[in-house]
Amino acid sequence: MNSIQRKILTLAAAVMFVMAAIWLSLTYYNQKTQDQYNSILQRYLHMNEVTNASQQTVTALNNYLVNPNPKNLQQVNSNKERLRVARLEVMDLRNAENDFALTSYMNLIDSLIETTDRSIMFLSEEETEESTNAVSEATRMSKYISEMTLTLLDSELKTYDRFYRGIIEQSTELKTFGVWLLLSITFLLLFFTYWFSRSITRPVQKLTQAAKELSRGRFDLKVEVTSNDEISFLAKMFERMRININNLIVEIQQKAQLENELQQNKLLLQESQLRSLQSQINPHFLFNTLDTLSKKAYLEGSEETSDLLANVAGLLRYNLKRLDRSVTLYDEVKVLHQYMEIQNARFTDRLRFNTEIDESCLYVQIPGLTLQPIVENAVIHAVEPLEDGGTIDFRIAQDGERVRIEISDNGPGMQEDKIKEILEERGVQTGGHSTGIGFSNVVRRLRLFYGMNDIIEIESGEQLGTRVILLIPKVRRSEKDDKAADRG
Amino acid sequence: MSKAFSFVLGIVCVILLAITLISADKVLQAGPQLPRPPYEKQAEYHLVLITQELEAPFWVKVAEGAKEEADNNGSSIEVWGSYAKDQEEFLKKLEIAIDSKVDGIIVQGLDNDDFKELTKIKAAFYGIPIITVANDVPMADSLRRTYVGSDQFLAGQMIAKQLLTDMGTTGTVALMGDSQEEYYQQQRVNGIMSILQKYPGVRTEYAETTESREKIIATTQDVLNRIPDVDAFIAVNANITDAMVQEIGRRSQVAPYDIYSFDDSKDTLPLLKAGKLDGIIEQSPDEMGRLSVKRIIEWLRGETVPLNADGYLTRIRMLRAADLR
Repeated sequence: MNSIQRKILTLAAAVMFVMAAIWLSLTYYNQKTQDQYNSILQRYLHMNEVTNASQQTVTALNNYLVNPNPKNLQQVNSNKERLRVARLEVMDLRNAENDFALTSYMNLIDSLIETTDRSIMFLSEEETEESTNAVSEATRMSKYISEMTLTLLDSELKTYDRFYRGIIEQSTELKTFGVWLLLSITFLLLFFTYWFSRSITRPVQKLTQAAKELSRGRFDLKVEVTSNDEISFLAKMFERMRININNLIVEIQQKAQLENELQQNKLLLQESQLRSLQSQINPHFLFNTLDTLSKKAYLEGSEETSDLLANVAGLLRYNLKRLDRSVTLYDEVKVLHQYMEIQNARFTDRLRFNTEIDESCLYVQIPGLTLQPIVENAVIHAVEPLEDGGTIDFRIAQDGERVRIEISDNGPGMQEDKIKEILEERGVQTGGHSTGIGFSNVVRRLRLFYGMNDIIEIESGEQLGTRVILLIPKVRRSEKDDKAADRG
Repeated sequence: MSKAFSFVLGIVCVILLAITLISADKVLQAGPQLPRPPYEKQAEYHLVLITQELEAPFWVKVAEGAKEEADNNGSSIEVWGSYAKDQEEFLKKLEIAIDSKVDGIIVQGLDNDDFKELTKIKAAFYGIPIITVANDVPMADSLRRTYVGSDQFLAGQMIAKQLLTDMGTTGTVALMGDSQEEYYQQQRVNGIMSILQKYPGVRTEYAETTESREKIIATTQDVLNRIPDVDAFIAVNANITDAMVQEIGRRSQVAPYDIYSFDDSKDTLPLLKAGKLDGIIEQSPDEMGRLSVKRIIEWLRGETVPLNADGYLTRIRMLRAADLR
């Protein structure tokens, strides 16, 4: 059974129950009142019966006395019997107030019956005078009985006065009660019906409102219906539908955004490609110009200048090309030589460059433009400021798993905190001019390239020169990892 | 709006329900109350006290004493009788009591033939014991079991003695009594005479009257006319005192006369208090009621059989006007 139906049935049952209860109690009360009236009437009828019976007994007795035949005797006896029955019934009327009087009353009836018997007896024994006396006595008694009946009725009225008034009062009160009951039931029903109908219509209204909002396209309002019937179920389903729609919309929006971003990225990529192509064109023009200059110098017999220009062009080309990719140590050493030749042209005797290279180590991978900045640093600090120039020693040697590259000078040496700054990659630009790629940059690139920290060491002291030691692993760690990853 | 509506509706409902409940309670409260059921324990004996003067304070006191004693003994007693000495009604009540076969009858003695007939023949026929109270009728005439009340002879003597003290041993005394000449009245007169006879200086005059007011007044006038030098009045029957004193007072001052009476009438005590009487015999009606019930129950239970035929006497005393002031 569904719950709206159950609600309606419950209301109907409650109304039925109330009506039945009222009907039952009213019927019960009516019955009780009827019984009370009956018992009151019975009391009076019983007493009256005694009077009647006693009077008729005496009348019958007189008739018998005048005309003593069996029929009249029969009459007397039947009346006597009636009197006896009446006496027994009167016995039930006893209460605290009439106890004594009723006892006397019953005894009086007994006396009347006895006297009647006596008179009949005397008559049968032909003692007429005695019999007449007894009859007159019986007549007197009958009179007394009548009087006493009246007295008893009187006392009955007095005794039952409160009882009667109680009945009257009760019926009046009952009338008032009936009016109030009718009023309260009417209002109670009104209240419950209103409450009950609301419990059905309110969820429907809420649902209607929610549907309206939804149809207008507002998917963010929660559909909330708190009841325990079908409407609530409907509302739940509705709410689920709303959530689903909401989710779908959000998904669509996300997709659209993603596509938009992709589009933008594509545009950016194209732009950057364009830019990179553009940037490659400019240096080439520069290299070609330098080459032309070199050829021109050569043709004019200035071979040295021609070589210098060729070196500059090579260095520049290398510089632009190799900054972002790894090269072999061999390439680096070659570029270093070109660089040193250029520096030689400048410093002539003042710069002494000694190399000691283990050829077998030149295959190791190394980030481009690593050695040149270090050597340049040494030239700037150890050669340039000194009148006698300086000596730079460059050494490549095996060192177990690694290749040891040493660059040492005999300059004034480096400050302790300066070394620290360099090793901690705090990007300090060395004074004045440089290639723009500082020492710290080199340190950083080395560490990133090999994924290790202990790549570089710097030894220095006051007037003891500076020695920079690079410990390059023969096999790049990330290379190993990459291979493993490729295989996997 | 709907919230306010349902709130108001709810309030109305609650108020109506409360009123309905109060009304229902009233209906239940107003229910008819049945009279008390008869006592669980039936009275041991049903007794009747019958007097001729239900209205007299004297007899009201007797009835009170009797009821109290009956209650104490678990018996019930009804007080029947007539008002203002209605003898016919009184005798009818007596006959009804006998026909109703009560267990015992306590009756104010009435010294006439109908009364004797009823007590001697009818009550005896049904075997109902009768005790006379306050006023006696001799046992030989009434077959009463006993008498409870004052010694009327002694009362007469007390009045006579008081008279002699007040008046001295010489003088004329008028005795006023009613023409019924009931036994108790004779006793009183006998008592008075038994004392006064010893004093030759005291002359007594006996005047009879009926109890009607005119007759009493006439008789009093007659006495005052016949014996102008009368010194004292004794109303042997208390009921004639009021009319007598009124008549004497109309003739002259009441004060010079010594007037005496008894208390078994509602008039005598106020007259005494007003100073119009010089003395009355005060009896003990309360004690009479109690004692009579006690004796009859004793007899019914068989504790005292037979009862003292001479009677059980109750206290009497002389109440003088001088003492009240």
